[in-house]
Amino acid sequence: METGEFTHGKLMNGIVIMLGLIVGVLVGLLGIGGGVVLVPAMVLLLHMDQHLAQGTSLFILLPPIGLGALREYWKRGQVDLRAGILCAAGMLAGAYGGSRIAMPIPSQNLKGLFGVFLMLAAYLLWRKAQLASSSAASSTEEFSG
Amino acid sequence: MAEGKTRDLAILGVACICGIASGMFGIGGGVLLVPLLGLLFAFTQHRAQGTSLLALVLPTGALALMSYAKGGFVSWKTGLLLIPGVFLGGVMGGSLAKRINPKRMREVFAAILFLLGAWQAIAAWAH
Repeated sequence: METGEFTHGKLMNGIVIMLGLIVGVLVGLLGIGGGVVLVPAMVLLLHMDQHLAQGTSLFILLPPIGLGALREYWKRGQVDLRAGILCAAGMLAGAYGGSRIAMPIPSQNLKGLFGVFLMLAAYLLWRKAQLASSSAASSTEEFSG
Repeated sequence: MAEGKTRDLAILGVACICGIASGMFGIGGGVLLVPLLGLLFAFTQHRAQGTSLLALVLPTGALALMSYAKGGFVSWKTGLLLIPGVFLGGVMGGSLAKRINPKRMREVFAAILFLLGAWQAIAAWAH
């Protein structure tokens, strides 16, 4: 059953599957990316090492899970194709750079930096909630990747 | 608002910065991309979210994933166990969202995220 790197028994497998479901509900509900929730969940609940949690999160985010949501936006003409492709290209390159920055950082420090980043993301999310309410919020507000 | 080429370059640069955060922290990057597209390039909220979704449907984290994999920092098994749940949960959450006040949900979630971040930072640095 066990495969070296990060081992867990049958019960743990069940817990991990449930965790995925709970994180998924949050993603759909709040329109935020799974990573911001997945990484702390794996670190704090599964006691994973910070680097391992981040690498595993990147793996989980690889399949196009936002495709269904994208279709809805596309149908309403709410997608800037040119900007989207530019963003994808920039992020592909940037993410590689970011991973090279992360590799040599000691896990403990990376964990702390991630914490600071989470607080910043929380602030942006809060601001977004305030802005969304001032500009008439509509029903398709959810999903932002 | 700059014209054509300048705007393209600026978007590419901003995306690069979002990408660096994505690779450094193992996240998608939408949390940064959406507000920045809105604040810097005057995208409406929906257009920013739709454009971010388009960018993230492409495997933007592939190269970063490769460097984590090379360092032995990917738990493939845990990932495979999490993917179906995240997908199904996402569909459920998406339909649930239509019945819940999104602003209140975001505020509660932002508060939880902030506390999680503080917890991580304190756990890492305070001894």
